[in-house]
Amino acid sequence: MKKIVSVLLVVALALTAVNANGQKEATGKSWKVQLITMDQMDQHWANVDKGAQKAVTELGNIDYKWNAPATKDDAQQIECINNAVAQGADAILLAANGPDAVTAALKEATAAGVKIIYVDSAANYQGEAIFATDNKAAGKTAGEQMLKKFQEMGIKDGKIGVISVNTATASTVAREKGFREAFQGKGYDILESQYCDGDAARSKDAAANFITQGVVGLFGANEGSTVGIGNAIHESGSKVVGVGFDKSDMIKQLIKDGYLLCTMAQNPDVMGYDGIKAAAEVLSGKNLGGEVVDTGVSVLTKDNI
Amino acid sequence: MGNKRKVAAGSRGMGQVFTVTVGLILLCLVFSILNPTFFSGRNINNLLRQIAPILLIGIGQSYVLITGNIDLSIGSVVGMSTMISATLMTKGMNPWLAVIFTFVACIAIGLINGFLVAGCKLPAFIGTLGTMTIARGIAQIANNNYNTDSIGAAAEGFRNFFYYGKFLGLYSTVWIAIVLWFVFNFILSRTRSGRHIYAVGSNPEAAKLSGVSILSTTMKVYLVASICSCVVGLTQCASAGMGAMDAGNSYELYAVAASVIGGVSTLGGQGILLGTVVGAAIWGVLQNGLQFAGAPVAIRNIVIGIIVVVSVLLDVVVRSGKQVRLSKKQTRE
Repeated sequence: MKKIVSVLLVVALALTAVNANGQKEATGKSWKVQLITMDQMDQHWANVDKGAQKAVTELGNIDYKWNAPATKDDAQQIECINNAVAQGADAILLAANGPDAVTAALKEATAAGVKIIYVDSAANYQGEAIFATDNKAAGKTAGEQMLKKFQEMGIKDGKIGVISVNTATASTVAREKGFREAFQGKGYDILESQYCDGDAARSKDAAANFITQGVVGLFGANEGSTVGIGNAIHESGSKVVGVGFDKSDMIKQLIKDGYLLCTMAQNPDVMGYDGIKAAAEVLSGKNLGGEVVDTGVSVLTKDNI
Repeated sequence: MGNKRKVAAGSRGMGQVFTVTVGLILLCLVFSILNPTFFSGRNINNLLRQIAPILLIGIGQSYVLITGNIDLSIGSVVGMSTMISATLMTKGMNPWLAVIFTFVACIAIGLINGFLVAGCKLPAFIGTLGTMTIARGIAQIANNNYNTDSIGAAAEGFRNFFYYGKFLGLYSTVWIAIVLWFVFNFILSRTRSGRHIYAVGSNPEAAKLSGVSILSTTMKVYLVASICSCVVGLTQCASAGMGAMDAGNSYELYAVAASVIGGVSTLGGQGILLGTVVGAAIWGVLQNGLQFAGAPVAIRNIVIGIIVVVSVLLDVVVRSGKQVRLSKKQTRE
């Protein structure tokens, strides 16, 4: 009995040795790349992952994994980065929670030889490249769209409400800044922003409160905020001009029905796709020199949806 | 018999309810002065509808707190409820059938919570922390890690019933909260189950010796919490017209705040649902009023934090004062 078992074991070992050799020849150099986003709940990140997976399929030599904390949390994102390094990642595609929140972990990662590429949100730490929306410019575009509509409607002044996510997330903070910049010196009164964490229900409540205060325009800095604003405008039956960010079926519906003027649609899938392609280039030895690529926004209105 | 009941209610938290009601009225006055639009009919209607979901999750959390436990899964169950109902509706299911399925799922979480805490004797914090992550995970998987599409025109009746409809001048959500409050308040203050809930919270050993089933009572309170969370999730789905995976994030904490402000003690055995109404109202008034007052976000957070701390301090101070009075009375006798 023992003899049979030992013969079988040797055969099994031999087979695995042959197989292992065969695998190495088939795949050649395979790089481990991890995508680390802010959380796994926002549809935006799922789209980044989708774009990344498309590039991974095309390239064929990337061992790809998408990781993120359950909720947006700096300490947890640091853990994800550390885990990626420990798991032998060659490159990390990162959507940083905040400009300085995870810098220490990034320093350790680059010291271990891991290449950092930013998608959607960069940190104050040099990376190989950044693929993101120029959020400030996009926010300004949103403001300009609203101003244009005001001019059409003959509204020369009035109050405007801003519904954003929080004061820490760089992307939404930049969008708000850009939006306010578009209105500088134009004679409108932008009220104190309301931060609702992107929760559509809370955003709707805050938007309804703004409408009660008599605003003429509302700006939503991300998907949840925008859905809330659209619903509030719909319910109030008022002519408030609503402008928002991101696209989703609900937002498209609200634009089609005329409750939102337009939305700034980002290209998260392009971020993921370009990010993976850039990772492959960097790992092959190319130096991208920290290039910043604006993956752009499209203004979606009733006419082009 | 009637007097005994009055005294019992008094020792359970009427005192704090009076104090916070005065606080609520003062807050409303201050906010009306800072911005008269705060007191407009339109805002009051909105405000009541903003308070309703906080009251509902407050009722659920109060039930659990009175037994000396906590339910950290409330927010995730809200999210799970939103996602399950919205996903089913976008797949073409009749909204009311979707509602039934959603209730079944949420009730399951409630029963699991009760079983983990009272059956497996897990600390409530740990047990509900586990179900919190599980429920959130279910919310994410429900539509394959995507927020849902719009639930569509077929759901208009559903949206009106849970959020947009008006009846006798008040929004439907407000009516739902009123009706459920009466039901759950009756159960808590006038039935044997209610007395058992207080008993388990005040003194579990004595309750057990008196024949109260700790398991059954604990399962009941977590069941109430999950039912309330389910309703709020449906309200959110109706409001947004879609399901978002992060719906209800952190709501369990708002529920604790509403309960604690209203005099429900986190140590158990103390508090009445009338207090939860005032607690939820104060929370809602703060969120709404600070916006009308144009308060910057830092001020908002500080003000809200101070009020929660003061409410908990009130509970501690009043309790220790009562103990001093009781011991003085005993030494005199």
